[in-house]
Parts: sequence; C-alpha cells; structure tokens
Amino acid sequence: MAAPEQAPPPPEGSKPLSALLNGIAQAAYYGNADITEELLHGQLYPEAAPEEFRALRAKMSGLLQSIASADMDLNQLEAFLTAQTKKQGGITAEQAAALAKFWKHHRAKIHESLVSRSRRGSVLRSLSWRVDLKAQARHLEQLHTPVAIVEMELGKDGQGPELLCLELDEAKLSQVLRRLSEVEESMALLTQAS
Amino acid sequence: AADKINLIPQDFFAELCEQIIQHLNHKIPGVNTAELCQRIQTSGIELNVGDLSKIANIVSFLFSTAARNHLSTEELITTLGNAVSALPKHAVQVIRHVWNEQGKSISESEDAGNMATVGQFVDLKWKLGVAMSSDACRSLKYPYVMVTLTVADPSGQITDKSFEMTIPQFKNFFRQFKEMAAVLETV
Repeated sequence: MAAPEQAPPPPEGSKPLSALLNGIAQAAYYGNADITEELLHGQLYPEAAPEEFRALRAKMSGLLQSIASADMDLNQLEAFLTAQTKKQGGITAEQAAALAKFWKHHRAKIHESLVSRSRRGSVLRSLSWRVDLKAQARHLEQLHTPVAIVEMELGKDGQGPELLCLELDEAKLSQVLRRLSEVEESMALLTQAS
Repeated sequence: AADKINLIPQDFFAELCEQIIQHLNHKIPGVNTAELCQRIQTSGIELNVGDLSKIANIVSFLFSTAARNHLSTEELITTLGNAVSALPKHAVQVIRHVWNEQGKSISESEDAGNMATVGQFVDLKWKLGVAMSSDACRSLKYPYVMVTLTVADPSGQITDKSFEMTIPQFKNFFRQFKEMAAVLETV
C-alpha cells in the first residue's frame, strides 16, 4: 500500500495557517484529492479538537472561495479582510495577514484553474505543421505546388485527444490569414473599449 | 441504412448524387451532408445525418468502383441490382442519369488512389468572446477565441470542428500560420 500523501510542510517560521490555506487550495483548485481534512488536521493542527478544526477549515475555505470567486485585487482584498476582522465571529488580524499573503502568491494560478474549469467544448492542445511540395498531381500545373500540412490536437475534458490533419494551399492559407486578422482587429477594439 | 434510401425524395437524392459525382471529379471538396440533411428534414422527412452519411458513402463507393472498372451505364445498373436489393425505382433512375451524364469524366480524371488521411480545409469561422461569470467563479473576465474549421475529410464528408483558444494561444496560432505562409512563398 502506498504511503499516505503528506500535506505540504509549513515553510520555516510560518504558521500552520499558511499551510492550511495551501492544503485547501490543493484540494479545491488544483485537483489534488489526496489532501483530505483528516490529513490537514493531523499534520497541521494535531492538538485541536475535530469540531474546532472543522470550523476553522470551513471558515478559511469560505473566505478563500469568496476571494477567488470575485478574483479580488489588492484594494478589494484589503477592504474585504478588514471587514472580516471587524465583524462578530470574524478573523484575527494575523489570519487576515496570512490570507492576504496567500492570495498575493496564488491569485493567478487559482484564477487560471477556475477559468479552465469554465471552458466547455474542445480546446486546442497543440499545433504542428510542415510544407510539402506536391509530387504527384492530376494536372501538370499543380506539380511542385507547395502545400502546408497542419496537424492539430484538440481535446475535451475527460475525452481522448482528437487529431485534425489539414492540407492548405497558398490560396487557402491567405483565406485563413484574412480571417485571423479579423480576429486580431476585433481584439484591438475590445481592449480599446475596456 | 440502404433501405433508408426509400425515404429520400427523388430531387434530394439527385442532388446528393450530383454532389458525390462532383466530389469524385474533384470539383468540390466534399459532400455537405449536414446541410442537405437539414433541408430534407425541413421538408418533413425523418432522416438523420448518420443515415444520410452512410447512404452517401455507399453511393460514393459505387460510383468510384464503377469508375475504376470503366463500367458502362448498363453494367453499373446491373452491379447495383446485385449489390443493393430493392432500390426504389426513382433512385435507380437518378443513378442511371447521373452516371450517363458525368460518369465518364471520373474515368478520365482518375486519381490513382488518393490515399490521403489529410482533410481539405474549406473555411474558418471565428468568434471572440469574454466569459464573464460561471458557477465556479463570479468574476471570470476571461477573453477567448472560438474557431470553427470547416473541413472536407478524405471520404468527402464536410464537417465542422470547433475549439477554443486563450488569447496567448490565439496569438501563437496566428503566428504559426504567418510562418507557414512565409515558408510557402519561399518554396
């Protein structure tokens, strides 16, 4: 039987709370199902009573979820955490500091994880290509026509990869470039407007 | 699926055979079964794309075999009778007519085994979107590009393949195609 997975060890000199937040993120956002509540309890807060730990974990999870869901920037985060320290049954200043530090380091990664969770349909996994000279052709003028052979790997969550292999001559390639330029123009307008 | 041929009205079947012959003549990249099926369904006929595709494959195989063996119209009809039992009379008529008119041209421009596993690019459609919010995250604000490629696969069937890209992925995608074009020019 494999050894049970270890919770990430708390870095030197930091509180178990940072490690707890890390553990929560591992399970909730990074897809690490091995980081269980029991594991975290045993590793990080062994002296705490089970209900006490459960309450702490639930509170921290809830706060992290609110912060991640709103993808808070530093201003929003500060306002949010300050409010939390002021309210009844809220958090301590120390806990607020730990949360702030954690979010600063993990914001981008957690947001990315939430974004990929929201993607429906296939995504482009990889693209490779080469240029061939058509060696055989029906009509003489097609001989030595260069074509691009493009191979795309598409994927959908939970499904195997789908390979798409296409041939494009110069004309078709121009068509593709025209279309992709249209996308770029639209993108420029979008960033201008925002 | 062969018996489903009964369901297809003559004019639609004629259109299908026309497209198949044109594809075999390399005049069009493929047969747009999805589009044709849509119109057939709109006229009240219950036929799904899967069945229509199978029928298209059968007819395509029939025509290309006939072309390879340089069959005359009468020989084709005889072969047809042996291969597919109880074909509706109007279907036989259509096949006879289409082969009479265009069968010879396939024989002349025969492609010696186009063994490509490569599809032909037909069209690219795109959509630029920003995912605002989801059940997992209220503030997503995630811009993405959705591309739909229309492709004619080696058997001639036209299909759409859609996929999503992040903005950095799209930029890389665009850059790769520009590189291809640059290489194509120099070759």
